[in-house]
Amino acid sequence: MDNAISEKEKNMAEEFNVDGMLDMFLYESSQLLENLESIILEKQDAECFDDNDINEIFRIMHTIKGSSGIMMYENITKVTHKLEDVFYYLRESQPDNVPHMELVEHVLAVSDFVNGELEKIREGSSPDGKEDKILKDLDSFLKRLKGEIKEQGIRLPRENKHEEPSQFYIAPMASDESHFYRIIIHYRNDTQMSNIRAYSATYALKDVAEDLLYSPEDIISNEESADVILAEGFYMLLQTKAGKEEILQLISSTEAETTDIDDITAEEFGRGLVEVAQGSSDDKPIVIDLGEEKTEEGKKKDEPVVPGDYVVKSKETGKGKTLAKNQPKKQTIISVNVEKMDSLMDMIGELVIAQAVVLQNPDLKVPGLDLTNFQKAAGQLSKITTDLQEVIMSLRMMPLTNVFQKMRRIVFDVSRKLGKDIELEVIGENTEVDKNIIEHVSDPLMHLVRNSVDHGIEENAEDRIALGKPAKGKITLEAKNEGGKVYISVKDDGKGLNKQKLYDKASSNGLIGDKDITEFEDSEIFRFITLPGFSTKEQVTEYSGRGVGMDVVVKDIQAIGGRLDIASKEGNGSEMTLVIPLTLAIINGIVVQVGGSAFVIETASVKEFIRLGEDSVVQEPDGEEYIVIRGDCYPFVRLSDKYHIDNAIDKIDEGIVVVVEHEGKQICILIDKLLQEQEIVVKPIPSYIKKVQGLSGCTQLGDGSIALILDVAGLVESEERR
Amino acid sequence: MKTLLAEDDFASRKFMSGYLSQFGDCDVTVDGEEAVGAFMMALEDGEPYDLVCLDVMMPVLDGYQVLKAIRDIEKEKKVSKEKRVKIVMTTALNEERNVKKAFELECEAYTGKPIDVDRFEQMLKKLKLI
Repeated sequence: MDNAISEKEKNMAEEFNVDGMLDMFLYESSQLLENLESIILEKQDAECFDDNDINEIFRIMHTIKGSSGIMMYENITKVTHKLEDVFYYLRESQPDNVPHMELVEHVLAVSDFVNGELEKIREGSSPDGKEDKILKDLDSFLKRLKGEIKEQGIRLPRENKHEEPSQFYIAPMASDESHFYRIIIHYRNDTQMSNIRAYSATYALKDVAEDLLYSPEDIISNEESADVILAEGFYMLLQTKAGKEEILQLISSTEAETTDIDDITAEEFGRGLVEVAQGSSDDKPIVIDLGEEKTEEGKKKDEPVVPGDYVVKSKETGKGKTLAKNQPKKQTIISVNVEKMDSLMDMIGELVIAQAVVLQNPDLKVPGLDLTNFQKAAGQLSKITTDLQEVIMSLRMMPLTNVFQKMRRIVFDVSRKLGKDIELEVIGENTEVDKNIIEHVSDPLMHLVRNSVDHGIEENAEDRIALGKPAKGKITLEAKNEGGKVYISVKDDGKGLNKQKLYDKASSNGLIGDKDITEFEDSEIFRFITLPGFSTKEQVTEYSGRGVGMDVVVKDIQAIGGRLDIASKEGNGSEMTLVIPLTLAIINGIVVQVGGSAFVIETASVKEFIRLGEDSVVQEPDGEEYIVIRGDCYPFVRLSDKYHIDNAIDKIDEGIVVVVEHEGKQICILIDKLLQEQEIVVKPIPSYIKKVQGLSGCTQLGDGSIALILDVAGLVESEERR
Repeated sequence: MKTLLAEDDFASRKFMSGYLSQFGDCDVTVDGEEAVGAFMMALEDGEPYDLVCLDVMMPVLDGYQVLKAIRDIEKEKKVSKEKRVKIVMTTALNEERNVKKAFELECEAYTGKPIDVDRFEQMLKKLKLI
């Protein structure tokens, strides 16, 4: 392929590094469609659209038509053009008796079609959806509409003039995704000049490499590197479009004993060799300059900018920037790339840690130092960093509006399909949540809403009337913010949960052993529906009831540190509440010591600290230990055993027992001593460490040491399973 | 269709001239100044180009400057809007603001590199060049 790009253009492209034309198109169009859906669903029950709506829909269609024309996506242009026509006549002639529901359906059909095509473009394939059917439907609708207009004695306006776009934009060809590999070559022990062989391997890769790191770095200049290579092997990290086979062929050498090529992620690649090589070498890796500034390019490529992924979303954003119609409008909101926000967030986290390192520095503990001025300055610094943290947190907050919007659509679609008449009430959609959490809330919430529509509300309106309820079912979606947590509840006034049925089902599925129904609390019985493989619905419908829903919901929610509460009254309805933390990035934690290691326990999950005597421990014959506190028996976890920590206290009367709670279940953990309570900046456990059960992250403490954050939910659950 | 291609990168030049030759004559220049000269010459000889493909990053005069120069020449010579030469920018700089700048300078199309030849051909058809 000779269709190359000159290097300096690439560099220039780097310099500007703003969103590409295509990204812009995708972003703006999806925003417009979102607006469109919100108008439609808000007015779905109204008799007709008012002038404002009609104008707005007309404008949205006009804009998408214009920009898709420039981008040469003809099917999108045609469909939006046709719908624009429909709204043109509505706007100009303002006829009465427009079949509103039908119109709503047409608009949604167009919106779905365009959304689908945008998705295809986003994924790099060509938008090849067939627009014929939608056009035909719209045509016949338009024809009837025109007939109606004439009948009402309104003069038809002049034809909607459609200007063909005169300028075009062709997006560059989607190129193949780059792969990332870790290559380790071990040469035979008698290999002469292995450093030169290693160099020829890097040289052979030069043509296919987009980025290449290797270790040891000084293979040419330092002959001693040959010994290192013989002893530890030669490590390379490669970013390339080439496949494994090709690479293997390029670097194959008769002297090589083994050549391992492993796939790694872009993220791992970005971290460089030190971590990936797992400490095999003290040499810092270097970046080979491949002649040009290609490495820089490669790095940037690791983090593709996702179009549409912006933190600040506003109904107005699309307006000022539209291509077809430039409406100058003062903007008070700017869109910021999420990656930039994340890196700012990261840096502020680091700043908080660095501040702790300075302020709690052991050097300050020298006796006799006068620290008055230092303490003053330190106080000021702390105040600023706290403010800074608050600001960045608030920047990352997004209202749940968009998520709730989706739910409206789901209720609309599913209830129509099932022939149920359901009203959706939405409360508190402006409640703000951290952006990362919003992403994780959407799917579980969708399950819950579908469940409510499908299983919650009665099949027949007669059944409802017989129970003295209004014929129209009602689902309430509510979000509120309370005490550092966000509560999102889905409430329906339908059948409610039948405890006996749930119990029978659970026991026949062998999920609960042979306990009697009276031994369970109500909430425990409701919780059965969240067990994997549990579904009371005999008939599986298109929307729910496969018994995979609720356990997935619970898993998803627990993954972001939240929980699901279930309340229900048979005949009156059910309420499912998601309780999720406001943010995942910073938690209040208690730092404790076990042996030489520090652990963090989230403050909110701690029930109590207690000193107990040896006699509180009950040991079962199989070695299982329990602790009895005030007559109640709790599972007992020794972190020193679990994580093989030496020098930890193992006599219970010398240490402290922490009682932690998750979803009403409690366990006891033995620690050596309490260190402090502080705000903890949560860092993920690096991915080269395998997932460790019971740990959810790590953090750096004031003295620079690392503390592991205990995953209380995980610990409680693993104890329960035993 | 008579085409003028201005492109300083050898590989791109080779590919584009090969591709465009299938539709008719394709003249090639390696910088912007030469491109303006070639355009003038053809216009004065009464055999104007139908299509001009301009790389944006070029020595001496860049693509935007050439685009503006050509449009100015046409205005001076009172070439009607319909008879103007069709100008296509070819570049890897495909951010919105670059594209808009080119559109404001009245180019007909803007194509990102690597060039999607199917869509390029579609665009030529829409511009009624082939």
